[in-house]
Amino acid sequence: MLAALTASALLLPGLARAQEERWGVDYGFTLYSEDDLDSDKLQAGSPERYEIETHQLRMRAPLGGRIDVGLDLVHETMSGATPWFVEPDANGEPVQVMTGASVEDQRSDVLLRGTYLFDESRTSLLGGYSKEDDYQATNFGFSAEHDFNEKNTTFSWGAGLSLDEIDPTPTATNLNPSQEDKRSLSIFAGISQVINRSSIVQSTFTYQNGSGFLSDPYKLVSVGGVNLPDSRPDSRNQFSWLTRYRRHFSSVNGALHADYRLYVDDWDVTSHTVELAWYQMLWDALAVIPSVRYYTQSQAEFYGPYFVTSPGGEFTSDYRLSPYGALSWKLRAETRLSDWPFRMAWKVGVSWERYQSSGDLAIRDVEIENPGLVSFNVLMFNLSARF
Amino acid sequence: MRWAWILGLSAAFVAGCATGVRPWERDQLSRPEMAWEVDALEAAHRSHIHFSKEGSLPGGEAGGGGCGCN
Repeated sequence: MLAALTASALLLPGLARAQEERWGVDYGFTLYSEDDLDSDKLQAGSPERYEIETHQLRMRAPLGGRIDVGLDLVHETMSGATPWFVEPDANGEPVQVMTGASVEDQRSDVLLRGTYLFDESRTSLLGGYSKEDDYQATNFGFSAEHDFNEKNTTFSWGAGLSLDEIDPTPTATNLNPSQEDKRSLSIFAGISQVINRSSIVQSTFTYQNGSGFLSDPYKLVSVGGVNLPDSRPDSRNQFSWLTRYRRHFSSVNGALHADYRLYVDDWDVTSHTVELAWYQMLWDALAVIPSVRYYTQSQAEFYGPYFVTSPGGEFTSDYRLSPYGALSWKLRAETRLSDWPFRMAWKVGVSWERYQSSGDLAIRDVEIENPGLVSFNVLMFNLSARF
Repeated sequence: MRWAWILGLSAAFVAGCATGVRPWERDQLSRPEMAWEVDALEAAHRSHIHFSKEGSLPGGEAGGGGCGCN
């Protein structure tokens, strides 16, 4: 979350920045709701999966023309059941055992950011803290952007560190879980380039090294009929290459957004993500934005829905590390009002997204689909004011 | 080797675009719907959902960690 909040502020193209000279307050409310698990995939536990309500508040203030400070606050409440472990049914088909529906948690997140604006570059420092009942993370980051070539080219780079502590809640199968640590170090570098009067492209590499406790303390794995704790390597090297293209079409008053991300890691996961969005402006006050996103990933080398014999010291049945594909559709509408009411510029947005994942949607054939794959709806409302 | 190839292509691309678009020719590029992320809050939250529910790194940013998402 912190990473995403940071990036959105730092990687603006250096062009759409006119409004940033004003004070700003943004509020967002999101309702995230996962589909119930199909009864034919459920072995035991509750079929009612996660629901999350999220409140986001972002405040930004320009100080003295050269300094920009921002504060982001997030609070969310989660409830519902989550996948616990997978086991074979009488026919050897994998079926999901869920937790009870009583899992409840809250997360609060605060991020403070300061940016200094030079004539042809910008430098930001940030620090953040995120707290859940059983998890806390402290983040630090640095990033910079430099404009070249009469601001037709922008180079951006940065680094971040997150120090996380996991203090698992005791469960029936683990009465006295130990406290664990995790550390993530990431660096990125990217370039954005104006192609012509109506199009711009950006390409960014990100590398992240995670070390420490990278397993899920609440998941079990069926190994030879015995349930053992989820056990993953204690380091992970991840690479992501994101390329984004924007093109404006004056004749129809719309804009095309096309994004592609290639991801690889040393757990053997490779993924491809393609997202296309069309921004149709209507009378410059209303925007209607349909979009589609496709995602496909391969499995981690130590993943299996369940294991008949022990594969060694590392194993997981987490659907996030299984082979699958996902397709999502989103429709967003935004309206903009300038200087009314209260002589402020307003933006009100509503969006709805449907996300579905399955083995059949993967780019390569999936022999055995993980029964815990998730599908969900996201409804979001947000309001922005600039003054 | 692959990285060298990618860097070379990127450099060639930038050089090809070096003719430049003048500041007064940027009316379309500076429109709000041309930003990398048109709504920062929505983009941040979507990125968090995908990071929590999929096996990949968001990309295009520094940081990471920050949730014990189930």
